[in-house]
Amino acid sequence: MLEVKSLSKNFGGVKAVRELDLAVNAGDIIGVIGPNGSGKSTLVNLISGVFPATAGEIIFQGQSLSKLSPHARVKAGVARTFQNIRLFPGLTVWQNLWVARNSAEDTRAEGISYRWFRKSGPVKNEIDAMLEFSGLADKGDELASNLAFGEQRRLELARAAATKPSLLLLDEPAAGMNHDEIRDLDRRIRQLRQQGMTIILIEHVMDLVMGITDRIAVLNFGSKIAEGEPAAIQENKSVQEAYLGQSDDD
Amino acid sequence: MTDFLQNCIDGVMFGSGYALLALGFTLVFGVMKRLNLSFGPSIMLGAYAGTWVYLNFSQNALLIVLVTVITTVAVGIYVERLCFWAVRRDAAIASMVSSFAIWMQLEEVAMHLLPERTYPFPTFFTSTVIDIGPFFVRSEHISMFLLTLVLLALLHLFLFRTRPGLALRAVSDNPLASTYMGINSSNIFFLAFAVVSVLGGLAGFLILSADSQVTPFFGLWATFKGLIAMMLGGMGSLTGAILGGLLLGVVEANAFWYGGPLIRDISAYLLLFIMLIVRPGGLVGQRIVTQQQAAYERV
Repeated sequence: MLEVKSLSKNFGGVKAVRELDLAVNAGDIIGVIGPNGSGKSTLVNLISGVFPATAGEIIFQGQSLSKLSPHARVKAGVARTFQNIRLFPGLTVWQNLWVARNSAEDTRAEGISYRWFRKSGPVKNEIDAMLEFSGLADKGDELASNLAFGEQRRLELARAAATKPSLLLLDEPAAGMNHDEIRDLDRRIRQLRQQGMTIILIEHVMDLVMGITDRIAVLNFGSKIAEGEPAAIQENKSVQEAYLGQSDDD
Repeated sequence: MTDFLQNCIDGVMFGSGYALLALGFTLVFGVMKRLNLSFGPSIMLGAYAGTWVYLNFSQNALLIVLVTVITTVAVGIYVERLCFWAVRRDAAIASMVSSFAIWMQLEEVAMHLLPERTYPFPTFFTSTVIDIGPFFVRSEHISMFLLTLVLLALLHLFLFRTRPGLALRAVSDNPLASTYMGINSSNIFFLAFAVVSVLGGLAGFLILSADSQVTPFFGLWATFKGLIAMMLGGMGSLTGAILGGLLLGVVEANAFWYGGPLIRDISAYLLLFIMLIVRPGGLVGQRIVTQQQAAYERV
């Protein structure tokens, strides 16, 4: 469903991503790992449209994304989360989800009542389900800025999912989480996959990546140095040298 | 004491007009993080169009309100497309300077439309004095105050209960995240200017109708009063704009009573000066610095 073809991105003289190829099948959870500065976040930024690519193409469901502006990519079905949380602090939890849900697709047919007042309409049930999903059912009317860090992370994930994407890009969703929270996150990501989302997961927490992904792509200096199933990646010599094996040198 | 309270009542009544103007500035600033200096002049042009219809065609109050508001909206959208939409997002100064240029242009247009500078503005409020105990209120001020309250309620409904209103607040809260929630910020800027222009047109009509005349200086006046009221309350804050407007009205009314017209105008600037030293963020707007930083933070 997603095809990245010889994608490159230069920042001045720095080649952040070089000639990267990546194919993602519908329903997969793909892990992207690599040392800091290896181009993982740049890849997510390129797919979500933060900046244009220097060269190469991104084909999503048969359609090239390069001409689409970021908000149009969301409507086409590509959603993302941010490494540092970017909620709407002045909106309630409910409204954060509502904004995302409303922009997801054309909801004009749903009637004026729900558009004007949040208490009615089928969308309300959907958003209540999202609240349940993120364990924030009792915090719907709380301002997002009043949430604890872990709750903000959960809302960030739920909000991206509320745009009803077919492809969900997760940029280090486990950063700053403790062990229990990571296990919760693992469960939620699996749940999203069951709902039909394809997921690209950028992460440093290896337990999460190794346990949940179908395939892993390893980046180093902007190039893909390996791709395969988690077990194979763990065995891969060049990956160990570039990344996992760093500990051997210490 | 009675004098002082009486001044406060007058000040609150008139300050509600300032509050509407300040809301116009603060909404645009909140959404775009930029100042629109030609807000006052676009209201002035709308008022001139209203007067023009009044003098030449019809004395129907509703029609004149409509012409004033529609012209203000048209000019507001013209300003948005020319100064804000066309200018790059991070070039806030360029937008402000070009909105100043448009200000001059709008004043020239007004001069050509009605070359004699001062014109009567239709008054639809019958002026009587209503006694409340030891105090009194002029009926046109009460009407203005009540209409302002209605407008505030409608604005609140729009911003907090409707889909576009919520999208607008989302863009104001976190422009970057709103883009990645599928919101087209260009449409939201357009919407913000349209809403603000409706508010401005109605505010202009209410204020001028109580004054019963319009001059080309109204643009300057409205921009200054709106800016001062917004900065008093805290830039980008809705509550702040309302509080700032009322505070400005009360201070001016008292300064006028105790010191005369010259002192009244100075008092507004003095008040702003003191506020900027004592509480630079305004009455409620202490978050503004961090919000701006958040907006320009890298991805």
